[in-house]
Amino acid sequence: MLQNKDPINVIITGVGGQGNLFASQILGQMLLQKGYLITIGETLGLSQRGGSVMSHVRASKRETLPPLIPEGLCDLVLALEPIEGLRILGSYGHPDVLTITNTRPIMPMDVLAGQAEYPELEVVLEKMNELSRRVWTVDATDLALKMGDPILANVIMLGALGGLKILPYDVRTFETAIREFFPDDRLTTNLEAFNQGRTSVKAI
Amino acid sequence: MSEKGGLKSLENGVLAKDLCVACGACASLCPYLRSTDGRIVKLHDCDLTEGRCFDYCPRTEVDVAKLHQAVFGRDRRDLDIGSTRRVVGARAIDLELRNRGQTGGVVSTLVSLALEEGSVQAAILTERRADLLPRGRIVRDSREVVTLAGSGYVAGPTLEALNGGSFENEDRIAVVGLPCQITALAKMRVSALDRRTPIDQVVLTIGLFCTWALSYGPFVDFLRKRVGRAEVGKMDITPPPERLLLVTTDSETSRIPLDEIRPFVRSGCDVCLDMTAELADLSVGTVEGRCGWNTVIVRTRAGEEILSRAEAVGAIETESLAEDYLGHLREASRLKKYRALKALEGKGYTDGGYLRLPNRLKRRIMSCGDEGP
Amino acid sequence: MSIITEGRSGQKVLLMGNEAIARGAIEGGVKVCAAYPGNPSSEIIGTLAKIGPELDIYVEWSANEKVALEVAAAASFAGIRGLAAMKQNGLNVASDFLFNLNLTGSIGGLVVVVCDDPGAISSTNEEDTRAYAKIGDLPLLEPSTVQEAKSMIPFAFELSEELGLPCLVRSVTRISHARGSVELDDPVPLSRRPHFNTGRPLVNVPALAFHRKLRAKLHRCRDIFETSEFNEYLGPEQPEALIVASGTPGAYAQETLNLLKAEDRVGIIKLGTTWPLPESFLVRQLRRADVILVAEDVDTFLETNLKALCAQKGRELGIKRFLGRGSGTLPDVGEITPDCLTTAVAEILKISYEARPPEYARTAQEAVSRYAPTRQVGFCAGCPHRAAYWCVKTALALDGRDGFLVGDIGCYSLGFGPSGFEQMKTLHSMGSGAGIAGGMGQLARFGFDQPVMTVCGDSTFYHAALPALFNAIYNQANFLMLILDNSATAMTGFQPHPGTGQNAMGRQAPVVDIEAVCRTLGARIEVADPYDLQGTIEAVNRLLVDEKGVKVLILRQLCALVRANRGEKLYQVRVDQERCLGDGCGCNRLCTRVFRCPGLIWDKEKGRAGIDDAICTGCGVCGEICPQSAILTEEI
Ligand SMILES: Cc1cc2nc3c(=O)[nH]c(=O)nc-3n(C[C@H](O)[C@H](O)[C@H](O)COP(=O)(O)OP(=O)(O)OC[C@H]3O[C@@H](n4cnc5c(N)ncnc54)[C@H](O)[C@@H]3O)c2cc1C
Ligand code: SF4
Ligand code: SF4
Repeated sequence: MLQNKDPINVIITGVGGQGNLFASQILGQMLLQKGYLITIGETLGLSQRGGSVMSHVRASKRETLPPLIPEGLCDLVLALEPIEGLRILGSYGHPDVLTITNTRPIMPMDVLAGQAEYPELEVVLEKMNELSRRVWTVDATDLALKMGDPILANVIMLGALGGLKILPYDVRTFETAIREFFPDDRLTTNLEAFNQGRTSVKAI
Repeated sequence: MSEKGGLKSLENGVLAKDLCVACGACASLCPYLRSTDGRIVKLHDCDLTEGRCFDYCPRTEVDVAKLHQAVFGRDRRDLDIGSTRRVVGARAIDLELRNRGQTGGVVSTLVSLALEEGSVQAAILTERRADLLPRGRIVRDSREVVTLAGSGYVAGPTLEALNGGSFENEDRIAVVGLPCQITALAKMRVSALDRRTPIDQVVLTIGLFCTWALSYGPFVDFLRKRVGRAEVGKMDITPPPERLLLVTTDSETSRIPLDEIRPFVRSGCDVCLDMTAELADLSVGTVEGRCGWNTVIVRTRAGEEILSRAEAVGAIETESLAEDYLGHLREASRLKKYRALKALEGKGYTDGGYLRLPNRLKRRIMSCGDEGP
Repeated sequence: MSIITEGRSGQKVLLMGNEAIARGAIEGGVKVCAAYPGNPSSEIIGTLAKIGPELDIYVEWSANEKVALEVAAAASFAGIRGLAAMKQNGLNVASDFLFNLNLTGSIGGLVVVVCDDPGAISSTNEEDTRAYAKIGDLPLLEPSTVQEAKSMIPFAFELSEELGLPCLVRSVTRISHARGSVELDDPVPLSRRPHFNTGRPLVNVPALAFHRKLRAKLHRCRDIFETSEFNEYLGPEQPEALIVASGTPGAYAQETLNLLKAEDRVGIIKLGTTWPLPESFLVRQLRRADVILVAEDVDTFLETNLKALCAQKGRELGIKRFLGRGSGTLPDVGEITPDCLTTAVAEILKISYEARPPEYARTAQEAVSRYAPTRQVGFCAGCPHRAAYWCVKTALALDGRDGFLVGDIGCYSLGFGPSGFEQMKTLHSMGSGAGIAGGMGQLARFGFDQPVMTVCGDSTFYHAALPALFNAIYNQANFLMLILDNSATAMTGFQPHPGTGQNAMGRQAPVVDIEAVCRTLGARIEVADPYDLQGTIEAVNRLLVDEKGVKVLILRQLCALVRANRGEKLYQVRVDQERCLGDGCGCNRLCTRVFRCPGLIWDKEKGRAGIDDAICTGCGVCGEICPQSAILTEEI
């Protein structure tokens, strides 16, 4: 769906500790295999500690782009956490943006403490829908927990994106990319997670 | 309408105003307030607008008439020393109790008897260890009572032991406490908040007479400078005109003029209305001028029953008190009330501060002023 | 990262900026690399450490940046190539050495990579390192892409050897922590045996003679920069305006012009060699237009120096109008983003630019402010620091003398915020907590009566707290120092340090035991486990009332991330819904409202607490704080 666009601007967002950066690296590697020039802008540092995290993944066949996507020019949001997805739409969204979101909220500290409210998931999805051309959901964390490790949610999300064929990659591209990071014994779990995502993504 | 509040109000209205008397009614109810070294310490902020800490504190609203109604089921008649059934002199028969007791050993005798006969299964007493800090202590064995006899004139969080204790197997508890602590118990009884505090199990309250109590930290610093590290035994106050604090250690008895002690009186005591623990089942103090005898004010049937049984089994002996002594007692009690109202005024509480007094009582108290203190 | 060692000339690979710098070092024939970790610089040495043994490169995590620079300089003195890496604050630590090193000069290629953090994304300041180049008369390179970050390193080595001067390379977060496609080159074939020439001592006395020599080197450097390929002009012959940019703004500039469709109206002078300025090159380019927008990160380094140049060359250049951070056209502080650059250029060209329909923008921003509560950073689930600060807070309250804690840099810096219960009351530089505590600890003589505590992580202890500690012991200051020993440099990504028993290259190393060090220095020492709240609180209170000298309490507990990465959990935790009091009096949600471990959940409907199994790391500490004993911890 975005194959014909150049550049392709993707933002992967979530909460520190969700494996956001890893997901962006894998996505970058996969697109690199497909002949794109890649730049990824990451936010490391303090935000790793439970703060909002985003990575900008930029792909172009023509040129190497700078690491930040200009505001209002994101083509695709991959949200590992719902309100983080909404937050990205706030600055980087535009009427044609595509959004894929995990359904599992992570409560900000202020919400836990009762000083702020976390909206109902339906409300977040409704807002996302209003701000995107299309929205898909994945119960990524729940699936990952069933598989025994919540961190797999990031790979499940990549699987979901792969399943939608929005970007030019499939499970084989994924396998090649992930081989650079993991020994064989972790490979099967990751492939399984990818496939879980591919088959459980739902349009709203 | 009674006043409602939470920890914030307690902090602002009582702790910050230095009105706290360290009774312990607010401690060990929750993880936010703790007592340590005779101080009430707030560990974290609590944002509840209604809490037991505020509700139980004897320095938040005290509605004298309402509390009296709640404890005695009728209006207050005696304006000076509260409801009485009888006032007698008494002392323990048992010599050990009499000697180790602060005055005549009556309190310890009554508690010990109640535990022995099973009319109560547990008692909240106050122990004083080598560090001189009074701490509440749950006693279930009558033989332990005598080891806790005596008092040290230092205020301490006795009621913390009631709040923090586990009384799953007991439904009859006695509490011995100072007037402020007895007031707090009455406030617990009338509180509309949840009843997780074991107040409904408290069937006997014995109040101690009290003119003032001392602040632990500053007083003990002073005392240590005076008597050194030696273990402190009995502490007593001699009657007027002498008025000395006698502090006995292994080696000597220090005689400290009361004027030197006054700076350590808790400022919360300055505004205290109650000398004779008017909301107790039974109140016990000294008999001025008659060494080794207690004044006992019996106020309720529960108080009468335990005292009569003690007489009947020969645990204590009683004698009647002279009319003019009773007159003195009344006057002393009324004077404490007068000083409290004046102190409140002095602290800028024009509306009586935490006290809600019936007009009749207020007039009676202020009449002291006419006579001159 | 085999690609970094094995990649061949012409190959295009995806590298993180810091990996690219590491690869650049390999291509430049580096032999000795040293650093102290600090975001955003840590992955440079992190990457090299992994491959050092394989490529016969010596790599070390040094105790601090000054030592790192000295270690790298030593290699240079012996004629081989050395590289030191650090973050902006680190150069402050190393600067004392640097400002003598410039005078003696170096021999083998010596490169100092400093990663600045515009916007202070993971720092306590956004200091601009470039000022050091000017003060120290040192050559300075500024990459603007990941590719350049790699390419500049071999050049920097060559330049350093040609001039006999260390060369500074300034990266920034957006390069160091970006990933980009990089075309590789082959490593230079160098086989030198290190040898120190005793006939040529490196002693910069008399200083003036050496200073004169340094100036001469800088002039030579300027000549080299005049023709450097890292400086270029892109744009029409006669633009309406010029953008002069270095660093990432240099990369944003082209996209900005594309977005504004202003490629024909504005030219870009992209500078990669920013000190000394290539004056003739600049004079040639600046002639093209009179309106000059300077886009650079943090300070007005270029802007100020360009203004000076234009004043100097007034007759040739005429009067220019300078716009940039100094003029308020670009924001005064924070990083330059593509967005502020676009706004500025649009304003200069009087173009109206909207990335998306205004109606959409409004709805989107409203949705965020209404439905996306901000996410404060805080300690991870199960972090021993949260437990430690809980104990600090409780102990100080119990102590009742208005005591407080001063701190410094590390994960535990977050103690200033809500997840540390706002306990850290001063926060400055590495080791500053111990120094400040030492000073406070002397004030009793003037009537100061508050107990003082300080806190320090294990890595920070070695870095800079140690001198402050023995200063305090020697001068008999009175305070309590907490050493949070989590066996990791967690803030920056778990680098080994002298206490971990491992060196940078993964070999076994002797453990420098903090406890033994403190004991030898003569401090009173206790050790506690911060997960044991009661024990820790008692220890703190016990040590606080000891009014003699320096007390050290070592709080030992493994970093929760390390434990989680190992897949270990101490306890399976759950909340007994019957016992939980929720927001009733007697608890008022102590766990979720006050303690706030992210592993806890507050179920608003049921009014009960719960555990989020996806986040809980099983430390079991909440079980200790629950007044109802409703949080059940079952040992695994
Ligand atoms: C602070 C204080 C001030 C007092 N002021 C006066 C006064 O002005 N006039 C007067 O007539 N009597 C006063 N008393 C009471 C008097 O000291 C005796 O406690 C009382 O006469 C009972 O004597 P006893 O021999 O029966 O007591 P004992 O048999 O010795 O029993 C004393 C009981 O008091 C309890 N106790 C000890 N210290 C405390 C404390 N700090 N808080 C609560 N309970 C405690 C113990 O648990 C023990 O059970 C005061 C007592 C205290 C503690
Ligand atoms: S007087 Fe008693 S209830 Fe009131 S604050 Fe002090 S200790 Fe708590
Ligand atoms: S601290 Fe305990 S009682 Fe209070 S909300 Fe948490 S689990 Fe429930």
